[in-house]
Amino acid sequence: MAYRILCGASGLVMLLLGVGAFVSFFLYHGPGSAGAGPLPIGPGGAYYLGALGCALVAWGGALVGAARRPAAAPWLASVTALALVMNAVVRMVAWVVGDYAYLGDVLRVEAAVFLMLSLAFIWLKPRPVETARSA
Amino acid sequence: MRIRWLVTLAIAALLLLDLYLPLSIIGRRGPEGAVRLEVPTSRVAVGQPFPPARLIDLDGEPFDLASLRGHRVLLTYERSVDW
Repeated sequence: MAYRILCGASGLVMLLLGVGAFVSFFLYHGPGSAGAGPLPIGPGGAYYLGALGCALVAWGGALVGAARRPAAAPWLASVTALALVMNAVVRMVAWVVGDYAYLGDVLRVEAAVFLMLSLAFIWLKPRPVETARSA
Repeated sequence: MRIRWLVTLAIAALLLLDLYLPLSIIGRRGPEGAVRLEVPTSRVAVGQPFPPARLIDLDGEPFDLASLRGHRVLLTYERSVDW
């Protein structure tokens, strides 16, 4: 049950963030926006943000699907944990590099949250026996 | 089961590193942080005097740009001094 809640909650967050990132690309290039936005991302950043949004929608959708039927994707927890660890490493390095100093300790806090989430995915994922029983 | 524990240990090590970063040598915001905080870049313009700035030199000692007044000064900029 905890695993389903974890998948559902994180999946919904990713879906919302994905849609937001996708929409932000169009807002950045929309008429009258003149490239203005809360983050100094530039046109290149807006492009990657839009692409990231598409990927987050797929990732979040898969997690929501796993919340409904955990046995349908037993590998999802492992790859999600791996991706979260990779995200955490990126943030930790970004914190050290001075170019992202304006973000302050947000990067380190995010990295810590991602690492703890990855641990939750690793320990709450269904064991092979449970997966076979529920399949 | 053993792999799960190994992965957990690796992630826990990363978590500890994340917490330790501000205390580590590479995590200390050195000269670059001081420059970013203390030089009002919005007031830097061609033809205008460089605004007063108290910086930190490579030895960690405070350095006042005003001490160079009257001398020829060449300012160079490097990306990410503390990386």
